[in-house]
Amino acid sequence: MTSPSAPVATTGYPWPIETTQLANGLRVVVSEDRTAPVVCVNLWYDVGSRHEPPGQTGFAHLFEHLMFEGSQHVKKTEHMKLVQGNGGSLNATTNPDRTNYFETMPSEHLELALWLEADRMGGLVPALTQETLDNQREVVKNERRQRYENVPYGDAWLRLLPLLYPEGHPYHHSTIGSMEDLNSAALDTFKAFHQQYYAPNNAVLTVVGDTTAAEVFALAEKYFGAIATVPDIPAAPDGSLPGPADKAVREEVTAKVPAPRIYLSHRTYPFGTAGYDAVTVLSTILGNGRGSRLYQRLADGARIAQPDYIGAYGVDLAHAPAPLIITATAKDGVDLQTLEDGLAEVVQSLIDEPVTADELNRAKALLTTSWWRGVSTVYGRADLLGRYATQFGDPATAADRLPKWLAVTAEDVTEAAKHVLRPESRVTLTYVPGEPS
Amino acid sequence: MSLVTTRPGTGAARPYAFPAIRRVTAHGGTVIAAHMPGQILASALLLLDAGAARETDGREGTATVLAKSLEEGTRKRDSAAYALALESLGAELSPGVDWDTFRVGVSAPGPLLADAVRLAAEAARTPKLDPADVLRVRDDEVTALRMDWAQPGPRADATLRADLFGADGRFSRPLHGDPASVAAVTVEDVLAFHEAWLRRPGVLLVAGDLDALDLAALAEAAFEDTSGEPLGQEGPLGVALPARRRTILVDRPDSVQSTLRLGHRAPERATPDYVPMMLAATVLGGAFTSRLNHLIREVKGYTYGIRGSYAMTRRWGRFEVAAGVQTAVTAPAIRDTLGEIARTQAEGITEEELEVARSWRAGQLSVEMQTPGAIAGALSTLVVHGLPDDYYETLRREYLEATVEQVSKASAEHLHVDALTLVVEGDGAVIREELAEFGEVVDSAI
Repeated sequence: MTSPSAPVATTGYPWPIETTQLANGLRVVVSEDRTAPVVCVNLWYDVGSRHEPPGQTGFAHLFEHLMFEGSQHVKKTEHMKLVQGNGGSLNATTNPDRTNYFETMPSEHLELALWLEADRMGGLVPALTQETLDNQREVVKNERRQRYENVPYGDAWLRLLPLLYPEGHPYHHSTIGSMEDLNSAALDTFKAFHQQYYAPNNAVLTVVGDTTAAEVFALAEKYFGAIATVPDIPAAPDGSLPGPADKAVREEVTAKVPAPRIYLSHRTYPFGTAGYDAVTVLSTILGNGRGSRLYQRLADGARIAQPDYIGAYGVDLAHAPAPLIITATAKDGVDLQTLEDGLAEVVQSLIDEPVTADELNRAKALLTTSWWRGVSTVYGRADLLGRYATQFGDPATAADRLPKWLAVTAEDVTEAAKHVLRPESRVTLTYVPGEPS
Repeated sequence: MSLVTTRPGTGAARPYAFPAIRRVTAHGGTVIAAHMPGQILASALLLLDAGAARETDGREGTATVLAKSLEEGTRKRDSAAYALALESLGAELSPGVDWDTFRVGVSAPGPLLADAVRLAAEAARTPKLDPADVLRVRDDEVTALRMDWAQPGPRADATLRADLFGADGRFSRPLHGDPASVAAVTVEDVLAFHEAWLRRPGVLLVAGDLDALDLAALAEAAFEDTSGEPLGQEGPLGVALPARRRTILVDRPDSVQSTLRLGHRAPERATPDYVPMMLAATVLGGAFTSRLNHLIREVKGYTYGIRGSYAMTRRWGRFEVAAGVQTAVTAPAIRDTLGEIARTQAEGITEEELEVARSWRAGQLSVEMQTPGAIAGALSTLVVHGLPDDYYETLRREYLEATVEQVSKASAEHLHVDALTLVVEGDGAVIREELAEFGEVVDSAI
C-alpha cells in the first residue's frame, strides 16, 4: 500500500484573525468563517483558582455558577432559557489558570449572545442574592461528590496537586475546592470577586463563525463599551519555581477501588514554551495510542497493565511548570510493585533509548489530527484564540503551535526527558483495593 | 453610559441545509458521502448490520470482544505493525457496537483517509483473530467491565434494563454484556460472529471535503472481497408496561450520592410520535431550564444535574430519568421527580416551554453538526432507520411547527408515572427505609 505522508502544516490556523481593543481595555478577537450558519461567542477571564487566597478554595468555580443565575437585565433562569431557547449550546469552565464562558448559536442570535455576556460582565452584582449563592453552593457540592468523591480514583487529581506544588503555590490546591471552604463562602466575598476580576480589561472576547469583524467590533462597542475599567487588578501569586522538584514524594491510598493503579507525575515546563512542546510530543510517544511505548510494552508486551487504562498526558497550564501525568492500572493478579517497576522502566527508556523516526512520525501524525479536530468547530477555534490572546498577548500565535510540535526533534524529546523525568523529581500516587483506613 | 437594557432582536436567519449527499456502489456495498467543503479532516464509518441484538443468549458481549480484537493483528501484519501503520496516518480505529449496528470508524486528514479506510477494512474484514489473542482480549474485557461496574451507574442501568425487558431475551442484558456473560464468550463465538456478520458489504459513511476524496477508491477499499445479502429486519418489541410501580435497590455501601434510574418502555424509533415525544422530553428533562433540572437542581440543590429522555432503537424504546442526588435527599428527590413526571403526563406542557424546546432542538441541528464526525453520525441515523436524504430539513421543520396540543398529547400517551421502575443505587443502610414511601423495595439481583 502506498503511504503518502501527512502534508506538512506551515500554519495551524488557516482562517483570518482580526483584533481590536475597546477604550475600556476589552480585547476583541474575530475569526470569520461562513461555512456553517453558526457563531461562537467566547469570553476568557484571566482569573482562575490560582488567584484564590487560603480559606477560599473553590470560589472561582463557584462564582462561575453564579454567572448563570441572572444579571441586571436578565432575570434568574433567563440566561439559559434565552441561549437554548434560541437554538444555542453553552457552557463555562474554570481551571487553575482562567475561567471561560461560551455559547454557540445560530448566527442570527449573535447580538443576543453579546448582550447576555455584557450584562453579566457589567451588571452581575445587583442581581446576586444569598438565595442564589446558597443554592449554587449545594449544586457545586453535588458536583464535587459526583465527580471526585463517589467514583473510584476520582480524587487522584486532588491528591496530586499538593504533592506536585508546594504549600502557598497557586497550583497547590484544586479548582473544585474544599467542602469546608465552600460552606464558609459569603455573599460579599463574591460581590467583591466580581468587581475585582470580571473587568473588561481582564477579559478577551472572541467571536468565530458566520459574521464579520466589522459587525462584531461595532456590537462589542455597543454592548461592552460602557463597562468601566477596573484599575490595578491584583496579579495571582507568583507561580515560578526553580525547576523540577528535587525530592521524590509518594502517597499510598487504600480505597474502594477495583484494581491497583499508579499515577506518576512530574512538573515539566509552562504551556506555551519550547520545553512544553517537547513534553507534548514526548507524552504522545510515551502514552497516547496503541503504538505508544506504554501500550506496546506494558499492555501488549509484558501484559501487566489493563489496555483500557494506560496513558500519559500533559495538563496544559501556563503560569507555572505544567504537570505530566502517567498512569497505569494492574491486570488481574499483577501486584502494584510489578506494575510500578514496569512503569518506571518505560519512563526511564525515554532517557536511555533514543526516540526512533517511526515513533516521532507516529506522534506527530496523531497530534496533527488532534489539532485539526480541536479547531473543527467554531467553539474550538474561539477558545483557542481566547487562550492565546489571554496567555500570550496575541491570538495569531495560536497558528504556531502545530508547526512547533512538528519541528520537535528526537533529540529535543530526549533532552526534555532528561530534564523532567528523573526519578528524584517524581510524584508517585498509588491506589490499592481495601477498606479505607 | 450604561449597559444596554433591552434585549436585542433576532437577525436574518440563513436557511438550514444538511450537506449534499453523494452515493457510490461497488461489490454490493454503498458509500454514502456528505460534502463539507473546506474541512481539513475527513471521517469514515463502516456500518454493518451486526449489532448486539445478534449475539447468542448467555454470550452477551461477543460483539464487543470481537470489536476489541480487530486491532490484535490482521492477516497482513501483527498488532504492533498495525498500530504503527494506522497511527502514522494520524488515525485511530474506533470499533464499536450498539443495539442495531457494528461500527468501525476512522478520522484522518483528507488526503490520508483512503489509506486509513484501507486499514480499517483490513481489520474489520480480515482480522487475524488468533485464539490466544481473543482469549486475552476477552479476559481484559471482563476486567474492564469490572472496573466500569465499580463506578456508580452501570449496575443501576443493568438493573433497570433487566426489569424493563425481562421477557425480551437479549434486550434484558446490558449492551456490552456483564462480567459473567463476557467471561463465557469463547473463541468460537467470536469467530462465528465475525464470519456471519462482518464479511457482508454494509455501508461506508463518509463526511469531509469530497472534492479531495476519491469515493470509488473508498468503496473499493471498504467492500472488496465481501459477500452476502442485506439482512431482513425484525419487528418492534412493543410497549409492555407493568400494572404498578416497582422500586429496586442496588446497594452501594457508603455512597455519598444515590444514583437514580427511573424508567419505563416506550415506542421504537419509527414511531410517528417521534418529534412530539422528543419535544416533551426536552421540556420535562432535556433542556437546562427543563422542569426536572429547574426544580431538582436550581430550586432544591439536590443534584449537579438531572436528565429525562427517550432512547429509541429499531426495535424498542424507553423513557428514563437519570441523576445522582445527595444521599440525604434521596426520597425527596424521587418524590419531586415523580411529581414533575405526573404533572407533565396529566397537564401537558405550555407554549412558553415549547418555544424553548422547539428552537433548541432545531438550532442544535446546525450547532451540534459542524464536524465530519458529527455528520457521519447523522448519516448513520438515516441508514439505520431508513430515512430519506432530506430528513434533517424535514425534522427541523417538524420541530419548528410542533404545537402545544401535539406535544401535550405525546406526554399523555408516552409518559406513565405509575408504571415506572425506580432503580436506586446508593447506601442501603441509609436509604432503604425511606424508599418504602414509593412501595415495596426489592433488592437488585445484579
